[in-house]
Amino acid sequence: MLQKASKIGHSSHVVTLDVRPQLLDALSALRDRVAAARFPLPLAGAPRARANRDELLAQLDDYLVPRLREPEAPLLAVIGGSTGAGKSTLVNSLVGRRVSEAGVLRPTTRTPVLVCHPEDHHWFSGMRVLPDLTRVWVPHQEPGDDLQALMERGERVLRIETADTLPRGLALLDAPDIDSLVADNRVLAAELICAADIWVMVTTAARYADAVPWHLLRTAKEHKATLVTVLDRVPHQVVSEVSRQYGALLTKAGLGEVPRFTVPELPESAWGGGLLPATAVAPLRTWLVHQTQDHGSRHAAMARTAQGVLDSLKARMPELAGAAAAQYAAALRLTAAVDGAYDSEHTRVKGRLQTGAVLSGDALKRWRAYPLDCTAGELLDSLVESLAALLLCAVTAADERVDDAWRREPASGAPGLTDRDPTLESAEHRIGMSVRRWRRVLEEYAEDEVGRLDKSVASDAEVVAALVATALLGGHRARNAGEGLAERLGAHGALRLRERGGRLLAEYLDRALHTERERRLAPLDALDVHPESQAELIAALSVLQKER
Amino acid sequence: MTAVTAVTDHTDHADHTGDDSPEDGTSGQGSSENGRPEGSRSPEGSRSEADSPEAFATEAADGEPAAGEAATEAPMESVTKAQPEGEAEAEAEAETEAAAEAETEAEDAERAQKVTFDAAHVGAHTRVKDDTGHTRVKTDDACARAESETAWDDGLIARRVSETTTGQEAQAPSLALETKTAVQAPPLPLAYDGPLRSRLDALRELVGLSRTRLDSGTLAEASRVLDEAAARRKLSGEHTVVAIAGATGSGKSQLFNALAGVAISETGMRRPTTAAPIACSWSDGAATLIDRLGIPGRLRRRPLQSPEAEAQLRGLVLVDLPDHDSAAVQHRQQVDRILALVDAVIWVVDPEKYADAMLHERYLRPMAGHAEVTFVVLNQVDRLPGEAADLVLDDLRRLLDDDGIALGEYGEPGATVMALSALTGDGIGELRESLGQFLAERGAAARRISADLDAAAMRLRPVYSTGRRTGLSEEARDEFADRLADAVGATAAGQAAERAWRRNANRACGTPWLRLWRWVQDRGDSTTGRLSVREPADEEATARQRVEQAVRTVADRAARGLPAPWAQAVREAAVRGAQGLPEALDEMATRATTPAGRPPRPGWWPAAVLAQASMTILQIIGGLWLLGQIIGFMAPNLGVPVLLMLAGIIGGPAVEWGSRMAARGPARRYGLEAERRLREAAAGCGRARVLDPVAAELLRYREVREQYGRVTGASAPVG
Repeated sequence: MLQKASKIGHSSHVVTLDVRPQLLDALSALRDRVAAARFPLPLAGAPRARANRDELLAQLDDYLVPRLREPEAPLLAVIGGSTGAGKSTLVNSLVGRRVSEAGVLRPTTRTPVLVCHPEDHHWFSGMRVLPDLTRVWVPHQEPGDDLQALMERGERVLRIETADTLPRGLALLDAPDIDSLVADNRVLAAELICAADIWVMVTTAARYADAVPWHLLRTAKEHKATLVTVLDRVPHQVVSEVSRQYGALLTKAGLGEVPRFTVPELPESAWGGGLLPATAVAPLRTWLVHQTQDHGSRHAAMARTAQGVLDSLKARMPELAGAAAAQYAAALRLTAAVDGAYDSEHTRVKGRLQTGAVLSGDALKRWRAYPLDCTAGELLDSLVESLAALLLCAVTAADERVDDAWRREPASGAPGLTDRDPTLESAEHRIGMSVRRWRRVLEEYAEDEVGRLDKSVASDAEVVAALVATALLGGHRARNAGEGLAERLGAHGALRLRERGGRLLAEYLDRALHTERERRLAPLDALDVHPESQAELIAALSVLQKER
Repeated sequence: MTAVTAVTDHTDHADHTGDDSPEDGTSGQGSSENGRPEGSRSPEGSRSEADSPEAFATEAADGEPAAGEAATEAPMESVTKAQPEGEAEAEAEAETEAAAEAETEAEDAERAQKVTFDAAHVGAHTRVKDDTGHTRVKTDDACARAESETAWDDGLIARRVSETTTGQEAQAPSLALETKTAVQAPPLPLAYDGPLRSRLDALRELVGLSRTRLDSGTLAEASRVLDEAAARRKLSGEHTVVAIAGATGSGKSQLFNALAGVAISETGMRRPTTAAPIACSWSDGAATLIDRLGIPGRLRRRPLQSPEAEAQLRGLVLVDLPDHDSAAVQHRQQVDRILALVDAVIWVVDPEKYADAMLHERYLRPMAGHAEVTFVVLNQVDRLPGEAADLVLDDLRRLLDDDGIALGEYGEPGATVMALSALTGDGIGELRESLGQFLAERGAAARRISADLDAAAMRLRPVYSTGRRTGLSEEARDEFADRLADAVGATAAGQAAERAWRRNANRACGTPWLRLWRWVQDRGDSTTGRLSVREPADEEATARQRVEQAVRTVADRAARGLPAPWAQAVREAAVRGAQGLPEALDEMATRATTPAGRPPRPGWWPAAVLAQASMTILQIIGGLWLLGQIIGFMAPNLGVPVLLMLAGIIGGPAVEWGSRMAARGPARRYGLEAERRLREAAAGCGRARVLDPVAAELLRYREVREQYGRVTGASAPVG
């Protein structure tokens, strides 16, 4: 192998075929970053980004890393194409016996089949490539019960067949349809195609203008994969015309230099699932064998695809990073909406406290009745209740504003963000708790102050607490409370108590609103959208670029 | 037969009656009739162009036309007309050619008396019509349009004419008379049957009701359906526009050509072959229909003039579409555009592509509701060996079933699935036959609109229905009132009033000494409470936050179970109502508390005061007596004065205690009364400003919901 590597070293375009640990390290670091990238917010680009990430991951795991690690492994040619294009028939004909089921009912191939030379079997029986797929080795044709059982369990299966007729160093993989009605098949097909050294695109005379295969061709072009197209099932009377037109379309798409093979539609074999005569697939077979046997072209084919994937990282990683950045930006917008709502409510509450909004309704009536028809305890109770109502109102108003703002954000559709449980009751509970705690501390303060005074003039601590609460919460309406307080505690004591109480109030207010805000943000925080993932992706890419 | 097809639609009509036995005449038979003779081709030349009948009869596809009834209706007002009519019918059963002659004879007879000619037409049409059929008479195109617009809304004309058909036949000729000027009559416009019409009306109303609540994007689909329904309705009801759609290379154009009998559409190996839609119409009068599809004149064709085919596929307008799956995006756009406008679709699939994801996911699944106007044909079966064709066809059926498309098997309504080969002509006959049957029913356009309507209604479902109970419960209303009462402080006010009353009572009935002591006390210090009482009535006595919270809660309760736009509307109504609610409550609170003035005194109060006074007097008398004795002014007799004094001293507090006990009840009543007054005033305020608008909004939603129910046909009202 070393010898081989040095030999190709001379050829100009082959660069990456010797094992390079640094490159592999950089690549696996990048792989981990890609695997760690999450796009939980349902933004417009998120599904695409998720698909891109999965695809990239598949390509790294199934193709690039194993290939760079073991350049001597057999070439894998994946036969892909639309449903009914005759992929299985083509594989069977190339191998020379029925290894993959062919038939008239679509989609035919649901389990991918890998065919290789018996001596190459060890390359594929392990988890070197396509680690997600459970290997099934069926020696002969029976469709095995265990296979059915695996399929039923929803496991994805790769069937491995060996055939002497294939040359060593070449493996064929019959992939499911790229446009299958079964969505899983589509995903699997895309994944398998990503694992290929050589992409064999099969299309037919009826299909060569279809949109879906052309997407795939364009992707292949983007990835600079080693590509070969097969125009299958061409009625012999129109072979030249169709072939010419297909060539023209390929040239127009910038794929003019791609090797192109035409397989005629042969009545005796086309639909029965039988084999095409060797002559029909001979040119393709020769080409494939040539790619495998000839060292120069083998490495050219391999390097081209590997290089293509590495090159494509340059475009795909920034795309992923961009999507990650968009996620973060959206998360930031959501957070900003919450912060804005709670901040403005906080300001409003403060303003209302200053104007004495708490001393209204029940509390105001009590205050007016105090002390003749109302005890200090009752006054304090109603004040505390009123304060709780003010806070609860602020919290629900803030929540409503958040809901409004989030409704305009597509990102808020993430599960758990908007469909929160009716937390209002528990919010009421929490706010009530915190307000009652404030009251208790205030009462302690009042006792302190009263205790400092001479025992002779000592007034009731509860009255003092009620008065200071009224003074704090009543704003200008409760001027008299301040006067009463001063009367009882003296100007100094009253001032001190009021100051301490005021600080306490502000503290409890902040804390209550902060708790609610945090609770609101908790599901968003749980999604763990952070700005680093963008930077990490880009950093991993630049490390890789340096290693190349 | 050749003569029949060549002459007029009357003969065509006779042909139909020949096909179906008149005894069990189905609604499909000659459901609407084209009264456009081609005079020049008429063999007898019995009719000049001027005589073209302009009276048209349409009918709703529902109803149960019994031939017997129809026959009794046919002789409308004159025996002379009825006679040949009956003849024509009788002969139609026997021999169509003869029927043609008979009818022309009848027409000759009618032409003799000018009036009856058109009446005969009306009669001829009504004959095959159901008894409730909405007969409509038209003058010319413009008039027809105007008329159809009015008829669209209330079906007035239809009602009038159906009266005519059932009872006052005499009106028919006069109506017909108005209309005999046009040279070439336009084709009969489409008529929808009663339920469909009322559903469309309901949808229109629904859209109107919802405009302010839903954004136009949500309603776009419904508006489009309405527009299309209205547009289609103005156009020919005798024609059925059928599009041939499919993937590239499935053989759409080949099938098109096979049906037309001539190579109209270019076929070839070059993919994609057809770039622009081509229309082919089997009978005249479809120009406006094709205009609607936006197919230019150079792409309109006529089929091979074969009388047989013409008879079978009469009224067919076939449109060959470009492919929907090729790399050429503009093809797909064209397909999407035209598919929204046609009456029925023939999906052409081939053994290679029948399971394409694009076909099923993009087209068949979303159009599953249109199964009744869908044909799915498996083309190119010649490429399949032996029984493989059946296998593939079964698999195709399975896939369609998975897509949710009802299959028209065993006589159930649904999509028609068949295998054919356009190349060899295999199965084309069957397709032609079922197409012919389909066309003869003439229900495709209405069914398509109905399916569109279903789809639009289904899509609108989330904004109209959540399947949950809605409405404002009694508890929610009570809770709202409670919260408002809290906001104005009704409980505290009641309690304060109660206490104040009791305090006053105690003071009034207390011992004078106690009062004196209190007075001295009060003079000494001025408590804070006193000052607060003196404070002027505050301008913000109502707790704003509680009002806000109460409104929010009640709005949330009311909006529960409502679809989002309506929930939003309810909330907005509540918030709008809540503006100014605190101020109103402030005002109300001052009004409700002040007028009390002096609290009412119970009747026993003077007695208590008197008793208290007498006790005091007893004390004073006892005291004076004792004093007198001490001074020696009076004879010493300790017993009586001490007893008197003791009685006064013990009696005073006793009376005070007694009256305090007695005051408790009235005090509570007074307090409760004060609370109730405040509470009720607050609740009334809230009801007027918030609950009523919210209830109105809920009512509007319920109305819309009912309308939606009418659109879905769940509870289709009659008329």
